[in-house]
Formats: sequence, structure tokens, C-alpha cells
Amino acid sequence: MPEPTGVIHDIGYQRYTGPRLGRRHVFGALYLHGLRTAFGLGRSAKAKIFPWLVVGVVAVAAAGITAVRTQIGEVVMTYAQFADRMSWMVIFFVAVVAPELVSRDLLSGVLPLYFSRPLPREDYALAKLLALVTALWLLLGGPQLVMFLGAAFTTDDGIRGVWNELLDLLPGLLYAGLWAVVFASIGLLISSLTGKRAFAAGGIVAVFLMTTPIVGILSIMPSQTVNELAFLASPSTLVGATGAWALGDLLVFEGSSGPPIGGFGPLYAVATVALVAVAVLLLLLRYRKVATR
Amino acid sequence: MSTVSWITARGLFGRRRFLLLIPLPLLLVVLAVVSRVLKVDPGQWGPPILVGLGLAVVLPVVALIVGTGVLGAEIDDGTVVHILTKPLPRWQIVLPKLAVATGVTAVTVAVPLYVAAVLAHSVRLGLGLVVAAALGALAYSALFLALSLVTRRPVLLGLVYVLIWEGLLGNLVTGTRVLSIQQWVIALADRLAPTDLLSTTVSVPVAAVMTALVSVGFTVLAVDRLRSFSVAGETS
Repeated sequence: MPEPTGVIHDIGYQRYTGPRLGRRHVFGALYLHGLRTAFGLGRSAKAKIFPWLVVGVVAVAAAGITAVRTQIGEVVMTYAQFADRMSWMVIFFVAVVAPELVSRDLLSGVLPLYFSRPLPREDYALAKLLALVTALWLLLGGPQLVMFLGAAFTTDDGIRGVWNELLDLLPGLLYAGLWAVVFASIGLLISSLTGKRAFAAGGIVAVFLMTTPIVGILSIMPSQTVNELAFLASPSTLVGATGAWALGDLLVFEGSSGPPIGGFGPLYAVATVALVAVAVLLLLLRYRKVATR
Repeated sequence: MSTVSWITARGLFGRRRFLLLIPLPLLLVVLAVVSRVLKVDPGQWGPPILVGLGLAVVLPVVALIVGTGVLGAEIDDGTVVHILTKPLPRWQIVLPKLAVATGVTAVTVAVPLYVAAVLAHSVRLGLGLVVAAALGALAYSALFLALSLVTRRPVLLGLVYVLIWEGLLGNLVTGTRVLSIQQWVIALADRLAPTDLLSTTVSVPVAAVMTALVSVGFTVLAVDRLRSFSVAGETS
């Protein structure tokens, strides 16, 4: 009887003996990946075109405003007005980025891989949401910082002028955060419904654009109460009205008044919080029972 | 009705996503009816509903979803190969698809616009808007159909045109209105039914010529691009 000739070769497989990172690290990695995806970092040049087009337009606008401010000394628009004027770019940015964040994962069916990690489903949705909020805040806040630097270096009052300018900037950044939270939660909810990026982008734009004319119609209705409540109808005017109420004089240009909302300011704040809460809740529900393919 | 247009229509209506087309026109009609019932001055609610909502939002967005959907969806799925391998001239693929896209967009947009215009002013304005919106649907559909063959991200590029060119620049730099389909539609509708509800800076001959030029030009471009079309996977 011949001896068995087979051998088992040791080809060097090793067990992983390092520390096992937990849920917090998965969340952090997913968040960072989402933030990089938003701006197309670490991806092909084609993926960078649209995000950086938006960034470019916003940056050029901010540079123009800063140039006018430093050369002529005229304040074209305040920090908060800058966010208002850029609302179309914000909508477009959400339409570009939100489908990239969630629709691609739905289409390629990688969600089971994600959820086989120590990653609760809520964490996946919240990490993506947080990434989109951060990206939007950077989009609006970065140019405001440029405007601040331009104003700070040309101020005539020394350190006191810089301090005053900073006090103007901080509410502006807070207001940009409000924009970011509202638009990110709605946009991500819409794009989590479809795996096709094209339809997600179309849906986001349709929802945000079709609500704006409603405000226009409601504010010419023959009832003052309806007029003052009209700004509830569209996310962008809702944010504007809430910001004008909450941050008040810090936000509104001297001499001009904010949106005519009468005494309904608190109602607007509640509506904004409720809108965000409902959108996030629906997003979490969506991922509780997501059809993965 | 050719087989290609039959397939296209089924691809468009056979999925849930065509329900996306319903809320926009419905909103237009509801707002017009509410304004009418509450007896608001038509001079006040006419322009925001007819132009601000109808021609500036509903028409381009519906045309974008439909126009990029008729061919772009098939390219995304990869099923366009089945049509391309049939012994059909390329124009026999592009033209039926363009016809379906234009027809669906025109019907979706023209019906609510007609209702709103009749409530706001007169039947004549309604008919003028219907004709102008149909021509606009043709121009938009040709543009977006060609876009879905030129680039892999037709919807985003179409949004750049609708949001940034027509929306943002059209309001700030009046010169760009010469190249804005939305303004051509307004000019044509105003010529067909002169009222004080519609106003634009673009002249009617320019609008008519440019609409024809864009419709024909982008259709020819689409046929040409489909002639040497390479099927590739989705971009990263």
C-alpha cells in the first residue's frame, strides 16, 4: 500500500488579531465616505463635474460680492441673503448629491453587505443624512467665510470692526445650517425611494420647484391670515421665514423687513422642526424594510 | 403606430414612475380653480400660475422626465441593444421616440394650461397656450432626447439648462433669453392670443425660427449620435 503523497501547504493565511472597531467607527467611515462622495473626491473626473460646477458658481458669486465690498465699500447682500439667493444652486446640489449617496447603493444592491456589518439600519440612513447636511453647510458656509475674510481685512475700525463682522457671520452660518438640514432631509428621503439616479434628481427638483409658485398664489389670496401663512407651502420660504423670526435683526437687512409673516413666527419654527422630523422618520422607516433588489 | 413607438409608450406607462407626471399638472389646475373660486383678480394670479408654474416648471420638468426617459432609460438598462440590432434605419428609432415624448409631454402640460388659461382669461388664450406649449414640448423633447445620447448624465445636464440657464441667468442677464425655450413659448403664446398676462423680450420671428431650428437640429444630432453609438456601462 503506497504512502499518501498529499501535503498541506502553509500559504500564510493569518487571523486578524488587531482591535475590532465597533459601530461608532462604521458610522464614522460611512459618514466620511458620504462626504467625500458628495464632492466626488476619490472618484472619477466625471463624478466631480456637477458638484464642483455648483461650488464654482457659488464661489464666483461670493468672490464678486467680496470684490464689490472691498473695492467700493458697498454691502451688496448680507450673509443670510447670500443663502437665500443661492437657493436654486442648493436645490441643484441636492439633486446631484442625494441620488449619489443613496440611489447608487439601492441600484447595485450592496445594502445586504452593509447590513451584515455591525451597522444598524438607522445608522446607515443617519450617516448619509449627516454627510449631506455637512456638504450643504460647507457649500453655503464656505463662501460666507470668504465674504467675511474680505470684509475683515478691509475694515476701518480695527479689531472692533472684525468683531462686529464676526457677529454678523455667526447667525449667517447658523442660518446656512438650517437650510442644510431642511433640504438634506427632504432630498435624501425622495432619492431613497428610487434606485435610478435620473429619476431621483428629477423628483427632487420637481418637489422643490413646484412648491414655490404655491407661495406666490397664497400670498395674493384675499385673506391676511392666508397671506401670512403662505410661506409654509415651500421649503425654501419656510426656511426663510423661520430664520427671519428666530434670528430676527441679525439676519434681515437694515431698513428692510423680512417676509410678512405677522405673529406666526413660532408656528413657522414648529413647522420647520416638524417637517425635518417627519422626513427623517420616514427615511428611517424606509430603511427599516428596504427592498434590497 | 410603429413597433418602436409602441415599445416606448409601454416603457413609459408600464412603470410606477409615470405617476410622477400626475401631481404637477393637477397642482396647476387646483391652484387655478381655487384662485377663480375666491375671485382673485386674474391679472394677479394669471402670470404666476400660467408662466411661473406652468411654463417655467411643469413644462420643462415633465419634458425632462419624459424626454430623457424614452431613450435614456433604455440606455441605462442596456435594453437599447435590442432595438439597435434590428435592421432599422436610425431615424426610424429616433423619430417615433421623439413623437411619443412630445405627445405625452404636450398632453400632460397643455390640458391643465388650457383649463387655467380659460379660467384666467379666455378660450383664445387657452388655445394659444396649447399650441405654444405643444411647440415647446417638441423643442424640449428634441433637446433632452439628444442630450441622453450625447452624455451619460442627461437629467443633470438638462437640469443645468432648465435651472441655471433659463431660471437663474434668464432672470439676471436678459440677453440669455434669446436662447431660452421657455421665452420662445411665451412669445409664441402671446402672439397667438395677445393679452397682458404674458410678456417677454424675445421677438416672435426669433422665437419661431429658433424653435424650429432647435427641434430639427437636435433631432438630426440625435440620429447622427445614434449612428455611432457605443454601449457602455454606468459611469462611476
